[in-house]
Amino acid sequence: MGASALVMAGIVLVAADHIDAPSTAGTTADIADFYAFEPVEGSDHTVFVVDLQSNVLPELAYGTFDEGVLTEINLDLDGDLVEDYVIQAIPRDGHMYFFAGAPATTGLDSKVMTDLPLGEVEISGPDAIVATTDNGVSLFAGPRQDPFFFDFFRFNAVIDPAVDSAPDGFLPPDQATDTFDGANTLSIVVEIPNGMLGSASAQNALGIPVYKTWVTTNSKQ
Amino acid sequence: MKIMTIKYLCFSLLAIAVLGACSNDDGMAGMQQATCGDGIMNGSETGVDCGGMYCSPCETMGMNPDFSGTYSQADHMGRPGINTVLGYDMEGQPSVKDAQNVTIPSEMAAAFRAGFEARLEQYYDVYANKLGLDPNDINYEPNILGLDATTLTTVLAADVLEVAPDAPTTYFDPGTDLDNDGRILVPDGDEVGLTGRRLQDDVIDISLILLFGGQEGDRFSGQDLDMDGQADLPRLTSDGVALTAENITDTFPYAGAPE
Repeated sequence: MGASALVMAGIVLVAADHIDAPSTAGTTADIADFYAFEPVEGSDHTVFVVDLQSNVLPELAYGTFDEGVLTEINLDLDGDLVEDYVIQAIPRDGHMYFFAGAPATTGLDSKVMTDLPLGEVEISGPDAIVATTDNGVSLFAGPRQDPFFFDFFRFNAVIDPAVDSAPDGFLPPDQATDTFDGANTLSIVVEIPNGMLGSASAQNALGIPVYKTWVTTNSKQ
Repeated sequence: MKIMTIKYLCFSLLAIAVLGACSNDDGMAGMQQATCGDGIMNGSETGVDCGGMYCSPCETMGMNPDFSGTYSQADHMGRPGINTVLGYDMEGQPSVKDAQNVTIPSEMAAAFRAGFEARLEQYYDVYANKLGLDPNDINYEPNILGLDATTLTTVLAADVLEVAPDAPTTYFDPGTDLDNDGRILVPDGDEVGLTGRRLQDDVIDISLILLFGGQEGDRFSGQDLDMDGQADLPRLTSDGVALTAENITDTFPYAGAPE
């Protein structure tokens, strides 16, 4: 069965990780997207943006952070693809609580690192509420515009094996449609001094020192 | 309502504390404590108006959330777009994505590389069929990074996003024909990237170029080979859309206000 048939069968596939597997798609643990960047050129801070859930399609879960879901931003400093530093975020009673540091254990199961508090911020409504800690960490959690862009429905037609499905491939710019135009998502944003994260000894393919980073959601057992 | 009650309680405690501090002629401490009732987390506070050196501990004000228990991994994401394109098995089912969500990154390449490469070749077969060509003749060719299919899928299967602490953030930019060999081919010294992902980066087009662009990045880009006004090759290196989110800002939290 081709991907377009999957969509017709009512299984919602959305993208960058917006398109997710059946076990997490449309749940409160569904990661929509992940960004990591230098806030301005020359800054000694790094910004991490995690987008959870999305309202790009009406069938998807979207609305509130789930107190049973622990979000973790993982950083590997030395290139072995094992996390050396973890930033945790978990909501309680209208606030997002953050913890950060070297994890006691690695792997698929986690506990909240209550001995390593980073700070907390009230979860925003439409207007952003921002907290900045003494050590220069900025924190945000709340609804934001989903910046991701992709002609996702044309993509489904492109990868459909049927010979008459999109033989020309994607559409030219004047005909293509951003499926995510107008969508919102629930964002967790952390801006943190690099000095707190540690020194990067891993390198990218062009020889530049990098953190290797990934985000996970984790459901309370 | 609970938060308001807590804050009022905190403020009352603060007032008592400040008065006490002043009666001890400890003006500095009194000034520090003044942040305990301003409704924001500042000074040495570990929560809003609580914790730290001067305010009441958060837990004694009823703000002692229960963080106990074990949390097990449900979803994973590193690099954008890759699982979208390659996370399906040969039957078009996203079972690979399900498995990858609960696999640690150090084990991903071994688990998923071969499937990614098979899926990549399958896309070329799909388009060979759509073009009426023999699938054996239309295959992946090394991309603008010079990576063959095995190397590329080894890199992509380990789903992590690289971000450079000491370099400008560029998802990928192959640069121009710096060495004047008539080709953009990387590496020629002016390519930059793999240093993170900004909110406005066109990660889908870059992914498509790396997967379907060949060594010049434009192998299947809707070319009109016989100049008859009709594309003879499919457009696979761009989805044709650009950023539409107009609310992105250059100050924290960067992501724009919801629509």
